[in-house]
Amino acid sequence: MPADAVISVRGISKRFGGLLALAFIDFDVMPGDIFGIIGPNGAGKTTLFSCLVGAVEPTSGEIRFRGERIEGLPNHAVVKRGVVRTHQIVRPFREMTVMENVAVAAHFGAGRRRGADAARRVRDVLGRTGLAAEAHALAGTLTIGQLKRLEIARALATEPQVICLDEVMGGLNPAEIVGAMSLIRSIRDSGVTVLMIEHHVHAVVGLSNRILVLNFGQKIAEGPPQAVLKDPAVITAYLGDN
Amino acid sequence: MQQLVSVTLSALLAAGLYATMAYGLAVIYGVMRIINLAHAGFMMLGAYVTFTLFSRFSLDPFIGLVVVGPLFFFFGVVLYRAVGKSMARSGATPSIESLLLLFGVWLVLQNLAYVIWTGDTQSILTSYTMKSIEIFGVHVGVPSVFVFLASAASLIFLNVLLKRTYLGKAIRAVTQNRDAALLSGVDADRISATAFGLGTAFAGIAGGMLSTLMAFTPDFGRSFLLKAFCIIVLGGMESVTGVALGALVLAVLENVLGAYTPVPTSLQDAVSFALLFVALVAFPQGLPALFARFERKAIR
Amino acid sequence: MKAFKASLWAASAIFVLAAPRFLDRGTLNDLWNLAFAVILASAWNLLGGFAGQVSLGYSVFLGIGAYTTVLLSLRGVDPFLTLPLGAILAAAFSFVIGLPAFRLRGPYFTIATIGVAEAVRVCASSVSFTGGSSGLRMPAGSFDFNLNYFSMVVLAILVVALAAYIKRSAFGRALAAIKQDIDAAEALGVNSTRFKLAAHALSAAVVALAGSLYAINFQYIAPGSVFDFRLSLSIVLMPILGGVGTVIGPVLGAIIFSTLQIKLLSIPALRDSFLFIYGGLLILVMLYEPHGLVGVGRRLAALAASAFGTNRRIPDAG
Ligand SMILES: Nc1ncnc2c1ncn2[C@@H]1O[C@H](COP(=O)(O)OP(=O)(O)OP(=O)(O)O)[C@@H](O)[C@H]1O
Ligand SMILES: [Mg+2]
Repeated sequence: MPADAVISVRGISKRFGGLLALAFIDFDVMPGDIFGIIGPNGAGKTTLFSCLVGAVEPTSGEIRFRGERIEGLPNHAVVKRGVVRTHQIVRPFREMTVMENVAVAAHFGAGRRRGADAARRVRDVLGRTGLAAEAHALAGTLTIGQLKRLEIARALATEPQVICLDEVMGGLNPAEIVGAMSLIRSIRDSGVTVLMIEHHVHAVVGLSNRILVLNFGQKIAEGPPQAVLKDPAVITAYLGDN
Repeated sequence: MQQLVSVTLSALLAAGLYATMAYGLAVIYGVMRIINLAHAGFMMLGAYVTFTLFSRFSLDPFIGLVVVGPLFFFFGVVLYRAVGKSMARSGATPSIESLLLLFGVWLVLQNLAYVIWTGDTQSILTSYTMKSIEIFGVHVGVPSVFVFLASAASLIFLNVLLKRTYLGKAIRAVTQNRDAALLSGVDADRISATAFGLGTAFAGIAGGMLSTLMAFTPDFGRSFLLKAFCIIVLGGMESVTGVALGALVLAVLENVLGAYTPVPTSLQDAVSFALLFVALVAFPQGLPALFARFERKAIR
Repeated sequence: MKAFKASLWAASAIFVLAAPRFLDRGTLNDLWNLAFAVILASAWNLLGGFAGQVSLGYSVFLGIGAYTTVLLSLRGVDPFLTLPLGAILAAAFSFVIGLPAFRLRGPYFTIATIGVAEAVRVCASSVSFTGGSSGLRMPAGSFDFNLNYFSMVVLAILVVALAAYIKRSAFGRALAAIKQDIDAAEALGVNSTRFKLAAHALSAAVVALAGSLYAINFQYIAPGSVFDFRLSLSIVLMPILGGVGTVIGPVLGAIIFSTLQIKLLSIPALRDSFLFIYGGLLILVMLYEPHGLVGVGRRLAALAASAFGTNRRIPDAG
């Protein structure tokens, strides 16, 4: 296990009744990585993120964040340490304004900011994610593109060291995807390690320096984007056997 | 030995009644994911209707149940048509709004009983109320035996209904796998109405049976509602066998506590309410799930 | 607008505080009842409204306050000195209930609270040190109505102010997040159990204080009065009627509720139909306007705004 890995996962599996959604996955994420995770529908990608942040308890295995074991910790405790995720199916607090949504994250995330300090952080994050104009709108009134950005904004406002983005480009138009890509680069450039699940292969290949491929809960490939895409196992998983 | 037989027997007799009482809650929960607080009101109303049939038309209370059942089924369907739409499921867990709505219905029913029958304590005295018979050398009140037989009959009737009729099968399908059943095109509205009617009918029947065992007021029903909750929580909220199991556990526990421990009778209710709390927290999926978990562990 | 609201609050506060100088005892009693209702409704709203955890067991905390005060007063302690102890005991008991019960979600939590409340009531009426179902009387000569009135009114004002403060604080935002989506709240670092426990303890302590003052005022308590399920019911009904989760809602609900109570009790024909009215109101609110009177107000304001073509924002009723 590399000593300088931010995230080290060893033998993680997750069973839902009779279904093995994740089967003994190992991988390491280095500081400054944009680490892509791809795989067909139902491969276990979201489940992997849920295990990472403690939203579900893995059936076996260990997860280290900067050398410290974090599996088994509750979700809120993992966030306070600096690992956060966004939701594939957006989960805004619909009856709060955009600003209040982000403020919750600023108050209770790793940054634990209060008062004017929190307000400054919220403004800053809203600016970076292009939501400044919607600050006072109720979250329930936003478009899907804005809601995806709100997910990112809230995650950023917790001041993470590792951010796990779950299909933040799903449902976006091409122009919005370009925006999202440069936002993700800027997040990485600000010193945050990025893990991203994405179905847009172009986007993942363009952004990631490493990619992990899951299929039916198994890890079938891992490595630099170009190498992974040429891997026969990956081609089979995506295109079938012919 | 004598005491053991007596405890077992009274636990068994009580379990029949408890199962009837709890099934009404379980079927509504299973189909609609609603926690029906009005159940207590319908039990109370069932007792009063049985009482009126008895005192006005000198109809034996157990024959009266044959009237109470269909009548309350009708009440349930009417109630569903009146307010049910707004209780439509919003997800896998019941909504607090529907709970409060039905809480309001319960209060209205209570007040209705005050207006019609006043707040005085009523009871039903038949020729056999005070009689008892001997089973295995133990004296058992005749009404509790009748109650057990009536419960058994209604649960058997229910089982046949669920296994043999289209609506019954649909109810079981929705209860066991909601999404799949709803996707396969069963008429959710009609099934919900039927389930609501069935649940209400069972509440009425349970209330009618209770009226032959004890005195009642419009306030009556709350402690039984809590017992019914306790049972469906123990039983896992959705299967008939689960409910029967939960009823048996509660009945045995109550009777054993009464016979073998110095817990005074006045505190017995507190025991079952506390059990409700413990059961909710400790086995959120009910006893059957717990057993299933053990089995799986054993296999692994 | 803001200044207007603030001065309205201040004027009402000054009015009720100065009332003993110019109002008769009967009216003061009504105001006492109103303050009592405001405290219960606003305290319940901290957990039930702000955090969305509907408890039907709040009579327990009222009872703990009341019994602590009477039992200690009977042993010679000055009644007013017993208040903090009652509050601490209630907060401690709220922990005992909440620690396991907050693992339950939504209605399951609600049912667990009914179970606890009933168990406590049954216990209180069958153990001997509480005087059983016949209840307990305060020692004679320990009562000054004006002092009690002031305490109740001051407590009411403090509770409403506290609610207003919490609503705007980080704590209030955590509660609102928990209410709207508990998993999403946890995913942003909110320790939901901790905040639920805190809101529960705070409101339990406040309700216990009101219970102590209640016992001092009526000089007599019994399980049938302070642990009554109907009391738990009215505690819930007031904020729901007025509008859960807002600051003004529970106050409005309490005003309507205590007015109804007073008016109904004076009309013999209606005395026996209060359950009809409460039940009916509950049904109406749940069917048509889950945000209660505040929701109705917002709708009217929106209607007025669109009718007059102004695009003023709908006033926040908080
Ligand atoms: N809470 C759960 N209970 C039971 N099964 C679950 C649960 N969550 C996920 N699953 C199952 O686990 C498997 C993996 O799901 P997961 O959501 O992780 O896939 P995914 O790779 O994110 O898919 P997608 O690309 O569609 O988002 C699926 O078969 C899913 O049905
Ligand atoms: Mg997914």
